[in-house]
Amino acid sequence: MPLHPAVRELESMVADKERYRKFLQEWLRYSWRWARDDKYKLVFRIQASILHAIREKLDSMGFVEVLPPIIGPVTDPGIRGAKQVTFDFYGHEYKVMSSAILYKQYMAASLEKIYFVSPNIRLEPLDSIYTGRHLVEFFQVDLEMYNATYHDAMKVAEELFCYVVKYVKDVHGRELEDKLKRSLPDFKPPFPRYTYKDAHKILCTELNCKFEYGTEIPWECEKVLSTHHDTPVFVTDYPRGARGFYDREDPTRPGILLDFDMLYPEGFGEAISGAEREYEPAKVIQRMRETGEDPNKYRWYLEMLKELYPLRTAGFGIGVERFTRYICGLRGVWESRPYPKVAGIAPTP
Amino acid sequence: MLFSLVGLHLRLLGKLRLLTGAKEFIKDYPAAEIARRALKGRDAIYPFGTLTEYGTAVLGSTVTLPRYPRFPSLDTTIILLPPAFTPKRLDKMVDLLREPTFEDVNLECELGGFKVAMPVVAGTMGSTAIASKTSIPIAKACAKMGIIYGIGENVATVRGYSKRLTRGHPCFKERLMTYLTNIDKYGGVIIQQSVEDAYDELWNKVYSDKDVEPYLDEGRIGFEIKIGQGAKPGLGGIIKIPREQIEKLKQKYLIEDTGKEKFVTRYSVPGTYTEDILRGMIRNMRTNYPRVRIWIKLGPFKDAMKVIKIAFEEGAHAVVIDGKEGGTAMAPCVAMQHLGYPTLVSLSFIRRARMLGIDNKLSLLPAGRLYDGSHVVKSLALGASGIYMGRPLVISALVKGEQGVVNYLESVKIETQMLISALGKYDVHEVEPDDVASLDLNIARALDIKWAFELAQQDI
Repeated sequence: MPLHPAVRELESMVADKERYRKFLQEWLRYSWRWARDDKYKLVFRIQASILHAIREKLDSMGFVEVLPPIIGPVTDPGIRGAKQVTFDFYGHEYKVMSSAILYKQYMAASLEKIYFVSPNIRLEPLDSIYTGRHLVEFFQVDLEMYNATYHDAMKVAEELFCYVVKYVKDVHGRELEDKLKRSLPDFKPPFPRYTYKDAHKILCTELNCKFEYGTEIPWECEKVLSTHHDTPVFVTDYPRGARGFYDREDPTRPGILLDFDMLYPEGFGEAISGAEREYEPAKVIQRMRETGEDPNKYRWYLEMLKELYPLRTAGFGIGVERFTRYICGLRGVWESRPYPKVAGIAPTP
Repeated sequence: MLFSLVGLHLRLLGKLRLLTGAKEFIKDYPAAEIARRALKGRDAIYPFGTLTEYGTAVLGSTVTLPRYPRFPSLDTTIILLPPAFTPKRLDKMVDLLREPTFEDVNLECELGGFKVAMPVVAGTMGSTAIASKTSIPIAKACAKMGIIYGIGENVATVRGYSKRLTRGHPCFKERLMTYLTNIDKYGGVIIQQSVEDAYDELWNKVYSDKDVEPYLDEGRIGFEIKIGQGAKPGLGGIIKIPREQIEKLKQKYLIEDTGKEKFVTRYSVPGTYTEDILRGMIRNMRTNYPRVRIWIKLGPFKDAMKVIKIAFEEGAHAVVIDGKEGGTAMAPCVAMQHLGYPTLVSLSFIRRARMLGIDNKLSLLPAGRLYDGSHVVKSLALGASGIYMGRPLVISALVKGEQGVVNYLESVKIETQMLISALGKYDVHEVEPDDVASLDLNIARALDIKWAFELAQQDI
């Protein structure tokens, strides 16, 4: 499937960085103005339907929705150079959740199949405004399953994706085409799966998008891969080092993680990130050191891993604004939620 | 009676010993030599003084040593080899259409992912009072001279990130922005993050800081992983802090409080590394901070070669190996005396790595009592990409502030140019192992360079 016109439009917008920045400043500063346009009224209603469909599907699969944490002494450090929000909690340093990943395992140990609809804050690097995919304040549906593999998680991911797309088409089909000029195909699982190694090989040879093995797949190459297919695609088995400490390393294939990303078609980029979780305390501690930190900071989490050993879980997170952007065919996530906030731009409502 | 006399005598000896810290430093470290350079700048490269002025002095190389050295150094065993025949000087002459002078020697090069005016790095100095007080004049002088400037660990945590936490001491961002706003086309800044700084996400903070953004875009920012330092390899940073700061820092640091003194000792942990952790850390950094240069600072560790290999394979930009002569503001005496190997051995790692095919993609730098042009040229000849220093800059700043540091760096620059031109070469990249020899056969063999006494063994 070729690049979606909205993705192309974003590309031409960011070509002039200064102008794009000015545009974003206005867009964010006066967001109540466009929030009343018919187009965005529809976007917000579709967003509600997306959340409704997600809940309906997950509940039918036996998942339990659990209240997410908002603050804690530690949060997800695997957030690619973004800074966490720290504040004084009665003399202790606490963080606002950058993702609730550590708490998902906590609740999966209790209820087995759980999900959060969880608010996250990440002070992203300033160059993230040009991606169309990064908000400082966003929501994700974060789910986790006890005693499951990442293959199980991928199955849930593709079923959930197909269900939500079908639901939105059923409820909003006509408006979607009339007002947003968006037509979505009927998707059927399973979606193609590439290991990172195969993706690297195909991109570097057939698709002529070269990058160094072992590094994250650059955005340009993700785009090439996503336009090469008519459905979402999975990239699995990332090499160690590029991911957070919680993605489990395959004991039979050292250096390879049991994890996956799902990419949207048409160049909309990363949809989902998921994995089996590392549950060996010694391995987790070693991996924590890769960010240069003292594992003592994560003491409650490590104690939990020891007490509940083996805490075998798998799960994924799917960003609500990104999903909305894809379904509505929008230029950036700054169009797919009210009162959007992006790196470095203030004041905003 | 006898015991109390002996006790008194011992107490006196102990008190006398207390005075020796400063005395030993001044006697043993070339502090006076560096101070002279800070005062006189380019003129300091000549040995003239008030009693030996030009025209009255008769000079020659020194052959005596004030005291017998504990271990070999670049000064005692490595010599530079100027040739009589200089085909490269001829090339340069054809280029310039005149006889070249030492000022025609190009020192500009790439170092650890930055473009620099000369291959000297102001190493990462931390939060200690002396490093803190001299950090601003050093930052300005380094920016002016186009060399890399380092900010050591614990600065943000102890002195504050963007607001001063301690009176009279610049905070982290003052150091950083003083340097960055004064650079021109050369230079870059390298920033360390201790385990305690990582708690506060120092690197993430820098990476999402609006004021730093333009410099990230220009590729002027580096992050330095500190695995150790020469004066106390295997031990973390140690400083004294005023008692009133305990409250703020006790969550993050080990603090030794006797309850009596005005200052308490604050220990930072050295951080745990394995081959896997280091590899993972570099990969993480490349993913998280794609616009940043990655440096690694090592103490005199026996497995330095493995670190170099991992750094090379994972695409880091530089590895610094600090010899045991490396400076510090605070380290236990036993650590300085007994932990690790001297700088010359650091250089043997660098020499060997180059021979094994670790190319210039990875900059390798020695550190530890390196302070003049000969140290630069000898290190380059042994495969180093430049030298890394701290104390000379602090001393120069103490002597004459920013101008002192500029003067000092000017003296090193002109010496480096003179020595390279004397080797018949006009570019810093042309210096090679053939330009040096050792006076000691074993060291010559170990470094795979010529033994000075075999130079004569040539057929004619």
